[in-house]
Amino acid sequence: MEDQKIESTRFFRPRPSYGWFWLVLMAAIIIAVSIVPTLEVGLSSSNAVLTLIVCIPVALAFLILAFWFPTMRYELEQDQLILRYGPVITYRIPLGEIRRIRRRNLGLTIWSTIRFPGIALFRVPYADVGNVKMCATAALNNILMIETEKEKYGLTPADEEAFVAAVRAKMES
Amino acid sequence: MPQVYIMAAITLVISLAFWGGLIYFFTGHQKRYFWLLVLGLPLSTIANLFLKPQAIIIVGQTFHVQPGLGLAAPVWFLAFKVLITPLVEEPVKVLPLLLGPAWKMVTSKASALWLGFVLGVSFGLGEALFVAYAVAQNPAYASLPWYAYTGYFSERLMACFAHGVLTAVLVIGMQRGGQFIWFGYLAALALHLFMNAPTVFYQFQWIPYELYNLSLLIPFIVLAVIFERIRRGVREPKDDQYAREVVFWQQQYTEEHK
Repeated sequence: MEDQKIESTRFFRPRPSYGWFWLVLMAAIIIAVSIVPTLEVGLSSSNAVLTLIVCIPVALAFLILAFWFPTMRYELEQDQLILRYGPVITYRIPLGEIRRIRRRNLGLTIWSTIRFPGIALFRVPYADVGNVKMCATAALNNILMIETEKEKYGLTPADEEAFVAAVRAKMES
Repeated sequence: MPQVYIMAAITLVISLAFWGGLIYFFTGHQKRYFWLLVLGLPLSTIANLFLKPQAIIIVGQTFHVQPGLGLAAPVWFLAFKVLITPLVEEPVKVLPLLLGPAWKMVTSKASALWLGFVLGVSFGLGEALFVAYAVAQNPAYASLPWYAYTGYFSERLMACFAHGVLTAVLVIGMQRGGQFIWFGYLAALALHLFMNAPTVFYQFQWIPYELYNLSLLIPFIVLAVIFERIRRGVREPKDDQYAREVVFWQQQYTEEHK
């Protein structure tokens, strides 16, 4: 059964980007501006300890997300589409619930979870379309949006034409 | 050279990249506002070295309050010293609008928002330099290495944004004209006081240093919410991306879906 499932699953890669670089850069800035100076000055004050408690997990999270960057992929199964990013993102979209598939640019807001040039992950608010569950190698431009009754998903398949054709074929079969 | 200047240089570069990047991306890749970043740079020094001390001296002499009393000064005088910063800084930040080319750029609420934001960020960058200069004059900090000034870095990075939002509020009021100029000024004044509240509370020894550090984030978040609401309010039809979208598939609605 498992073999059959794998056989019927099609994998699609996202289009290439330097999103990983921005994640590493963010970690480097936090390390350079907060962690290293705090360690150099010493842990004599509660502020220094608090800085490390906040900054070390954040910097590590950015580095781990950068490490998982190559694992971003879209899996098209018989009855669902799965968006994956390492072990932290697994968005399952039942094909029967899809209402619309469109490509568009999205409007920037100052709020976000993970959104840098070349990468957008998790639930990201956009000015014009509201919250979108992102698993994409672009933050704003040419995002393929898949909408269901309850959610909007943003992705960036490298071969968009083939991807959309495959999803439509599965939906109609 | 005092080590605080190294952190000041880092702060300027990162603040400029961060807030300049925000302006560039949020205005749809417009570069026409960037020249205004130069205009606000000396204004903090002018306000802090000349205008504010002079105002405090004049009021003190007029009402016979001895200088240097610190917290022992009359309450009304302490309140005046708290008020003087926003009273002076908010009008000073929009002084570059007296230049014709700058004011001519204020053609809509959106342009008022971004022009005000740029002038505020510019003032904030100048203020970061002034604060670094003030710290460098204090012998107590002379022995500290540059990396000991991370508090300065994070505070100044946030202050640039805060000044940007406050000035944007005022310039939007000016763009609307009439009584809205006063509304804009009073709103900027009130927000500035709110932004300074943690510092004032700490100076009055009402809160400990740890709480002071944490509480700096609260005004920053409030100002970010205000900024985002204003920004969405002034969005123009051309900002809408719907025209460029491509619909690949859309469910045909039937009776059962209605």
